[in-house]
Order: sequence, then C-alpha cells, then structure tokens
Amino acid sequence: MKEHKARHQLRLGEGRVIVGATFLLIVVAVAVCAPWLAPHDPNEQDLLQILLPPAWLDGGDWAYPLGTDSLGRDVFSRLIYGARVAAIVGTVVPVGTCLVGATIAILSGYLGGIFDKSISRLVDIWMSFPAVVLSLVLMVGLSPGLRNVILATILVDWTRFCRIIRSSVIGLMKLEYISAARIAGASHVGIMTRDLVPGVLPIIITLTSVEIGIAVIVESVLSFVGVSVEPGIPTWGVMIADGLATVFQAPWSLIFSVSAIVLTVLSANMLGDGLRLMLDPRVSERRRIEA
Amino acid sequence: MTTLLSPLALQDFAPHDDAASPPLFEARGLTVQAGSLHERPVQVLRDVNLTLRRGQVLGLIGESGAGKSMLGRVIADQLPDGFRVASGSLRFGATDLLALSKRKHRSLLGREIAFIPQEPMMALNPAMTIGAHFREHLRRLGLSAGQGRKAALAALADVRIEAPETVYDQYGFQLSGGMCQRVLIALAFISNPDLVIADEPTASLDVTTQGHIVSLLRALQKRHGTAVLFITHQLRLAAQICDQVAVLYAGEVVEEGPARELFLHARHPYTCALHAAMPNFDGEWRALASPSGQMPGLPEYPMLTGCRFAPRCASAIDACLAEPPVLADCGDARALRCIRPGAVARNAEAENAETNPLSQSKQLAAAPLLKVDNVTKIFRRGGWLSRAPGQTAVSSASFSVAPGEFVGVVGESGSGKSTLGRLIMGLEEPSTGRILLDDKPLGGDEAEWRRRIASIQFVFQDPRAALNPRRSTLQLVTQPLQPGQVSRQQRRAQAEHMLRSTGLPLDTLTKISSQMSGGQRQRVNIARALCNTPRLLIADEITSGLDVSVQAQILNLLLRLRSEFDIALLMISHDLAVVRYLCSRVLVMWKGVIVESGETEAVFSRPQHPYTRELIAALPPEDISKRWAPLAT
Repeated sequence: MKEHKARHQLRLGEGRVIVGATFLLIVVAVAVCAPWLAPHDPNEQDLLQILLPPAWLDGGDWAYPLGTDSLGRDVFSRLIYGARVAAIVGTVVPVGTCLVGATIAILSGYLGGIFDKSISRLVDIWMSFPAVVLSLVLMVGLSPGLRNVILATILVDWTRFCRIIRSSVIGLMKLEYISAARIAGASHVGIMTRDLVPGVLPIIITLTSVEIGIAVIVESVLSFVGVSVEPGIPTWGVMIADGLATVFQAPWSLIFSVSAIVLTVLSANMLGDGLRLMLDPRVSERRRIEA
Repeated sequence: MTTLLSPLALQDFAPHDDAASPPLFEARGLTVQAGSLHERPVQVLRDVNLTLRRGQVLGLIGESGAGKSMLGRVIADQLPDGFRVASGSLRFGATDLLALSKRKHRSLLGREIAFIPQEPMMALNPAMTIGAHFREHLRRLGLSAGQGRKAALAALADVRIEAPETVYDQYGFQLSGGMCQRVLIALAFISNPDLVIADEPTASLDVTTQGHIVSLLRALQKRHGTAVLFITHQLRLAAQICDQVAVLYAGEVVEEGPARELFLHARHPYTCALHAAMPNFDGEWRALASPSGQMPGLPEYPMLTGCRFAPRCASAIDACLAEPPVLADCGDARALRCIRPGAVARNAEAENAETNPLSQSKQLAAAPLLKVDNVTKIFRRGGWLSRAPGQTAVSSASFSVAPGEFVGVVGESGSGKSTLGRLIMGLEEPSTGRILLDDKPLGGDEAEWRRRIASIQFVFQDPRAALNPRRSTLQLVTQPLQPGQVSRQQRRAQAEHMLRSTGLPLDTLTKISSQMSGGQRQRVNIARALCNTPRLLIADEITSGLDVSVQAQILNLLLRLRSEFDIALLMISHDLAVVRYLCSRVLVMWKGVIVESGETEAVFSRPQHPYTRELIAALPPEDISKRWAPLAT
C-alpha cells in the first residue's frame, strides 16, 4: 500500500522538470530537423501572397500554415528555422557562462585575499551596467554573427554566476571539511574539484537552466534591434521586428514568434525552478520531516 | 488586578510542608505516540509516571533521544505534527492539562507554568530590547506600562544582574549567554508561576556560568516555593540540585527516587552504566565502562518488544526481551523498571586494562616532539585600512609535547584554546613566535606543510561539519592517501584496518555521514586523522557533542589507540574530568594566556591560579556529601 503510493508520487519539483525539459527538447529537435520540417525556404519570398492569415482563418492557405509576412515569407518555416539560433544560443551560452562564471567564482572564493576583492569589485562594476545595454554596446563593437552574439552574452552574464557561486563557496569554506581535506594533504586543485565543485553543483545546475531562458531573451532583443546574427538568418527576434510594422493588418508573425520565446523561457524557468527544489537538500529535508 | 509576586489564581492549596501534600504536577501512564494511522504507531513516551510536589525540584535525566524534551512539549501543548498523547493523564493542581481546551491550556502557560529554554541566545528576539520582552510578557499578565517597568527592573535585580537599568535597554545579542539566561529566568519567574520547566538551561553555557545559573535558579525556587522540572543530561548536577530524580531511557522512566539515594545506590542497569561511563574528577582514577552501542532511535522502538535497554544490558536474560517490565514501587520511595533488581551489580568490567595515564609521565622520552615557542595570535579587525586594535586570541604561549604524551588544554569558550590547536595544525598563522617540530621550526612552504601534516593531525569538534556529506566512509577514512599514490585494494585494506582500530563495523565503509550516528561519525573523524599514523593528534572538543556513554567509548578508544599507534595527544576540552581521564599533563588557558600548567594530578589537586580554582569549584563534586560551591553561597 505504502510502496504503491510512493511509486506514483512525484518528488517535489519533478513535474516542473519534466514539463520544462520536454518542451526544451522539442525545441532542440525542431531545430535539428528544420530542413525536413519546414515546408518552405525561410527566406523564399512570394510577393503575391503577402500578409496571409493562418490557414484555418478566412483567406488562409494550407501552403502557408501560419500565414505569411509582409514579404510573403512563410511564418511557419521562419519559426522553425528561428528555433535553430535559439537552440544554439540556449545551449552554448549557459554552458559558457557557467564555465567562466563558476571557474572565476571558485578561484575567487577559495583563494580569497586581494584576488577575491578585485574580482568582487570587478563584478560590482560590471553589474552596474544594464545587461541589455552592455550587450548592445559589445555587439556594436564586434561584428554581427552567431559567434559574437554568444560571446557578448557570456561576457555580460558571467557576473551573475560568479556572484552567486562565490557566496556559496565562501559558505562552504567555513565548513571544517575543507580544512580537513587540507590537512589530509589534498592539493588546492583537489580541494576545488573534489570538495567545492560537488558542493556548489546544485546551484550551478539551477543557474545554468535558468540561463537558457535568459540567453534566448538576450538574443531576441539583439535580433530585434538588428545587431545579432548576419542578415538573412531568420530568428524569433527578427520576426518580431518584421511583424511590428504590420501589427495592425496582420499580427500573426508577431504573435507566433513572441509565443515561441515566451514558451521557451517559461520552460527554462520551470526546469530551473524544479531542479532547485529537487536538488536543494534543505527542501528535501523539510519534505522528509513532514512526511 | 492581581499584584505581582503574590499568589495568582490556582494557588489556593494548603501551604506546602512535606511529602504528604497533594502533588502539584503528576503524570500517570502518559504515553505519546507518533506515526500516521496506516503505520504501526511508535510509542515515543511509554507509560511515564512522574510526581512533582510544590516547592520541589524534579530532575529528568537522560541522554539525547531519551524523550526528555518531549515531556516538556506535552506540557507546553507543542507536540510536533504526527505526535499525539495516546493515553494517560497529566494533572496540574486540580486540572487535567490534557482535558483543557487549547485556549485555556495556553492561558496557563507563561502564568502558572513558565519555561526556561536551552539556548538562551536564540530565545531572545534580536529585534527587541530586553525591556520590550518584559513589556510584552507583562501586558499579557495585565500590567500597565508604568508598573511593568518597575516590576521588570525588580525582576532583573532579583536574578543578580548588577545594572538592571542598562540591561533593560539592551538587546539579547549584546549580552553574554549567561546574562541572557538570567534575563530568561527573570521572565519565567516574574509571574510567580507554580511550575517552571527548565530544559537543559545550562547546556550551552560555560562551566563557571553554569554554577551561577543553577544556584540562582535554586535560590529563586526556594524563595517562591516554585516547583521546578529540571531536564538535564548531567547526573552529578541533578544530584546536587534536585530533590527527586527520574531517569529516562528510550521514552521510558527506568528509575525514580530521591536524588541523593538514586545517585549513591543506582539500581537500574542503565543508571549504573551512566555512572560507570562518567569520568570522575575527584577520587581515584578509574577506568570507564560504557554499554556497547547507543540509544535506539524512534524507528527501532517497535522492534524492542521487551525492556528497551535489554539489547545493551550486560545482565539481560531471555525474560527481559519477552515483555516490557513495569515501573514497580520498591517501597522506599523509589521505583524501578527492571525485572532483575538484585542481579544488577555495576555493569562494569572495564573495557580496557590500560594503566592509569596520570602516572605515565615519567616514562616519556626527553626530546620533545613539538615545541611551541612564545606564540601569539592577534586577529585583526576591520578592513586593511583599519586602525582598530586586534583581538589577542593567544598570547605568548610556550610549551612542549613529548612523543606519546597526552596533554590537555582546558579553558572556557573564548580562552583561545581552539586557536592554539589551529595554530599548531597550521590552519592559522601565528602573529609572532615559532612552532618547532622535531626541534626544527615549521616554515610556510609546501615541503614544510607536507612535513607538518605527516606528523600532526587534527580531529575537528563537529564531525557533521568535518566530514564531506557526499563522500563515503571508505573515501573519508582514506582521504589522506592521495589519489594515484595507492591502488584500490590498498585503499580498501587501509580503510578496513582503520575501521577495526576505531571499533566500527565494516558495513559502514559504504555509508555516508548522514547515515551514521553521532558516535560513529566521530570515530570516522578520528580514523581519518590516524590514517597516515601521525605522531601528534590534536583533538578539539571531540566529545562535547556526544552523550556520556558514547563519550566513554571515544575516550577509551583514544587510550587504546595510544598503545596501538604510539601517538601523542593534545586534548582541547572544557571538561576537566575528560582531561583528567586521558592526560598526564594539563595547560589551563584563560583569556589567551596559559595561566597554569603541570602534571594533571598536581594542577587539579593543588591549583595555584585563581582561575583554575574557580574552574574546579564550578564542577559538581562526585562525592555528593560535599557541598557544591555555587550552592553554598
């Protein structure tokens, strides 16, 4: 009876993780299979069929399931191809940010002293710039392109990782098991990799999954103002910008691209939130006591 | 309006004079169950009978997990979720507390029944002044603000606070632990309650402060004729201040009786075992004995069909396991829950036949292993531009430790004894002075660090913090063997060897620290320090978080390890009896200074420094016919 119940009961946060991860995996799958899924070339113009509504509405055409934009491009195909940039940015940026931020944070928290102080001041100054403005400035300096978008986003966002992970490293450093590892003869690298990293791993995982959503938003903002990837590559941000001009005649392009962004970010946040609940020992401890 | 410090409601009994008066507080067959309806309920408290008369102090003694605090929670109507009173009665005066409505029950608390908590620093709201605590409490009692202030100041003066006006406007965090506890005692007594429940009121305080607090509690109790339920784990302390004592084991009262009688002639095997596990401070050195294992946890209760102590009892027979014994009246005002009252001799044939360490100092080699030469440590305050004077934690400490010598460092919190240990280990840098190992000063580079950790190891106070929660015992115990240096088989063999040496079962190898008991964790902690066979072990308060019986196991383990590994020990402890049990030499620290040192027996029997004398006077004596100093004043 009891086991039966236990098997069907989801752990706290597990539902959120399942829903969030599933949607994100779908986005990745769509991005990978874009050439086979999309009915049209995303840049193919059909000037006779501009601003068509979705197929199920009056005047719609099943050749263009979600309608067309002001140049007669298929919204559905552009949406699918747009997922490619979102998927790349949404994987590479979180991993990169995490590597840069966590490495600096662990070094800073472990070494302490003047290095730690300098890093903390640098992060303070860095974070005093509005994130979007800073990435815009960086993109204006760098040339447009996917690689530079990723670079700019990492350069802006590592500070958040750094600050949160550093404070948790400082907390761990106060625990005696770090001193115990030192007097057991562990090297500095050994302590950082075997004692500190496992200790901050739950936070790293949570931050990384939340960063997926942030990366997608930042890329969309940059696309929207036209300083992201090379022209000609469809992204959700570019679609919003295009759709804005004709929002009163044909809001479709805008609605679908905005929905795509919102759903992706929502899934990323659900994933992060769920992982935090699952991995936080304090939460699971409370649950265990209450049970 | 009722005036304070005069009897409130419910006090219309005959004046208390002797044992014939009706009990003020009485528990009969009280049973508390835990667990939901689906599972088999666990009896957290089983058939508890207690009687507390007006003006008496009833001691409730037991180790952690015995259910001492659970009783306080029943009285306070604060049972945790899932726990409920299954049967029995709890009478307070003429009322049955269990039959009262929640509202009426609550209205008794803080008026007729008051509490003194365990952690005085945590019990005061840091956002409220002491005065605000009093105002809030007195408003509930129906006093106006003007009267309140006067009453509060009088109460603060009553608890021997010298400047009540100043303390009234201060916050809890500005006061010491002892001062906070005085404030809480004043708060508890201000409504002139009939019953005060003191839950380990001195557990988190220094030993000299403990004396002050206990004598104060006793004085107030006598003056107001209050009944006190004194919950403690210290048998000797209870013998000094309690009239009656009940010993609790695994949720059952196993023995009950007048405090002195029970202390001198324990009848239950568990009470005897507690005696045998307690290091003594005066009298002959005697080996400690401790029952194997530890107190069972709640999940194990349903498996204990008979006497709950039987699995650890040396004189248990088959009948003990068959059914739970009843608490039988012995006739001489004492009660006992044991079916073999005559069979119990002292549970003790001493576990190890070690010779008395006090007489070992003569055989030691002349060349010191470790020499601490005029070491001072000053902690700087504020930032790097700060001109504030630093805090001197250790001041000009000089001493040496011979190979194989057990040296104790005693002192109260803030005396700098832990900092001294950390300086020797190299976890802190000395501000001035040198530390010499084998007559060579220890430097700061990597090679010197290797030399230091090869010879010196440190056992941390709290094994929960010192053991990485994600590593298995196998990894923890062999942590000093660096990866790549040894094969997997060697690592495992060494781990098994260490587990055998420290008396741990081999199945703990795969466990992580949260799956082990406190005593087992501390053994793993010690095993790790011994892994590379150091020559000096620094042990920082390693038994202070443990129960008496587990402490005895650890102390005997250290004595046995001395013969097996030939190690020297620097035992940092606030407990003089523990140091006397282990160490041939002792250093007394006070405010960062070593004020006295010498052979343990000489220092403790003829203390020279006033502080040493104060420390010794603060200990409740084992010979209870002697008057304990704090109660004499």
